[in-house]
Amino acid sequence: MNRELLKSFSNWLGDGPRIVGQVRISRAAESWELRHNDDSGELTTYDRWQDARALANLTEDGAFRPIKTIRDLRRGWRLLLASVEDVVRALDYFYPAMLGLWNADSRGELVVTDLRETLARQTGMYRVTQKITDPQAQQLCASHCSLCMKTMLWKIDPAQPITSLAPEKHQRASGDSLPLLCREACNFLIGHARTVVKKAEKEALDAASPQTSS
Amino acid sequence: MLSKPDSALIIVGHGSTLNPDSSAPTFDHAEEIVRRGIFGEVHCAFWKEEPSFRQVLHCVERNDVYVVPNFISEGYFTRTVIPRELGLDGPLTRFGARAVKYCEPVGSHGKMTDLLLHRARSVAPGVPPEQTTLFIVGHGTNLNDNSALAAKREVERIAALGLYADVQSSYMEEAPLISDWATLASQPNVVVVPFFIADGLHSYEDIPVLLGIASESPGAASAGQASIFAGNPYSLRGKTLFYASSIGTEPGFADVILDQVAAFDSTSR
Ligand code: SF4
Repeated sequence: MNRELLKSFSNWLGDGPRIVGQVRISRAAESWELRHNDDSGELTTYDRWQDARALANLTEDGAFRPIKTIRDLRRGWRLLLASVEDVVRALDYFYPAMLGLWNADSRGELVVTDLRETLARQTGMYRVTQKITDPQAQQLCASHCSLCMKTMLWKIDPAQPITSLAPEKHQRASGDSLPLLCREACNFLIGHARTVVKKAEKEALDAASPQTSS
Repeated sequence: MLSKPDSALIIVGHGSTLNPDSSAPTFDHAEEIVRRGIFGEVHCAFWKEEPSFRQVLHCVERNDVYVVPNFISEGYFTRTVIPRELGLDGPLTRFGARAVKYCEPVGSHGKMTDLLLHRARSVAPGVPPEQTTLFIVGHGTNLNDNSALAAKREVERIAALGLYADVQSSYMEEAPLISDWATLASQPNVVVVPFFIADGLHSYEDIPVLLGIASESPGAASAGQASIFAGNPYSLRGKTLFYASSIGTEPGFADVILDQVAAFDSTSR
C-alpha cells in the first residue's frame, strides 16, 4: 500500500463521516462502514474489501460500469471493514485511482494533460480523434462529462478552457467530500470523440456525393 | 521466495468498456499477490478501464516499480501502447529517483505450457491423453498481437512432451478454423482450451458457437456464461468434447506474474 496516501487519507477521514463519490464512510463500533450515501435502513452486509469490486462493477440494472465516477453506483449494501487500509483498498474498487490522484494533487505533484496533447498521442484506431474540432470537443464534454462526478482539471489547449460545462465541474469538492479529479480525458471520452469524428466524416462524404433521385 | 517490500507491482491489462470479465482475472491475480504480502504495493491498470495507464503512476509511492503486462503475447499493446502511455523508453526507465522496470508479458513465460496442460487435464479428468486431441485456440488475423504465433509455440512445446496423441493450434478467424474441429481431430476425445487472457464474448459465446455447443442467439452469453463449462462433456459429431475456460483465469497466473518479475531481475543483473 502507498503509505503516504494511507497517512493523508487517515488524517482526512478522522473519525468520519466522510464522502467519496457516492460512498459514505463512517465509524461503526470497531469497524468502518461504507454504504451508498443515499441509503439507510435494511442493507445487505459485506465484510471484505474485495467485495467492493462486485458492488462497484454493475448498476442496479446489471449494466457494466466502465467509468466508476458516473453517478450510478448501486444501492442496498453496507461494507464493514476492520482497518483504514481495507477502506483504501475498497475505495480503489469503488473509485479507481481517485485517492491516488487526490494525494498527488495535495502534494502538488499531479500532472494535468490538456485534450490536444492527449489526442496527439493516440495511435491506431484512435488517431482519427485528432481531427475533432474545438466546438465538437466542447459539445462532447457537455454531453458526456456532465454525467461524471469528477472535477475536470484539463482544457482543450492551454489557451482554451472547457466552457460548455457548469463552472462547478471545474471546482474541486471540499468539506466532507473528497475531490475526484480528472487529470486527462478518459478513454470513454476518447472513444466517443472517435464516434463524433467518424460521424462528421461520413456526413461530409454524403453531402459531397448526394444520391441522385431517379 | 520473492520478497519486495520496497517495490511496487503494476499489473497492466486490456480491460473492456462492455463487461467486467476482461479485467476480472487481472484483479484476481492482483488480490492473490496482495494476499501473499510480497510487494510493498500492488496496483492494476487498464487501457479500457480505470485505473488507466496514465493514472496509475500517480498512485504509486515506491521508487522501485515493476510493470507486468497481463497479455497473452508481445504485440501492439505491449510494444506501443503501454510504453507510450506509461512514458517508458525501454526495459528500464528512470524518472528522477524512480526506476520503472518493464517485464515480459505473462503469455511469453515458459510456465504457460504447464498451465495449459493443467487446464486440459482438469477439464477432462480421467480422459486418457493418448486418445485425445488437444486444441489450443487463438484469435487469429489480429494485427494487434502475435497470439497466433504464441499459440503455435505452445502447441509445439506440448507436442514435444508426447503426452497427447494429437495437439493442434486453431483459430476463430483463420485456418485451421476451430469450427472444423471435428474433421481436424484424429482422436475420439477432444479438449479445447482458449488461449486468451480472460473469459468474455470469445470464450462464452463465439467459440461455443463455432464448436456447435451453443446457438447463435444473442444473449447466449449473458444467459449461459459459465454454464457453458458445466455442460461438459459434449457428445457431438461422433466425439466427446471438453471445453475449458480461458487460460488466463487459471490461478497459476499469479505465479507467472511473479516469475516475470524474477526474470527481469535475473536478466538485468
Ligand atoms: S473525461 Fe474526465 S470528466 Fe469526462 S467523463 Fe471522462 S473521467 Fe469524467
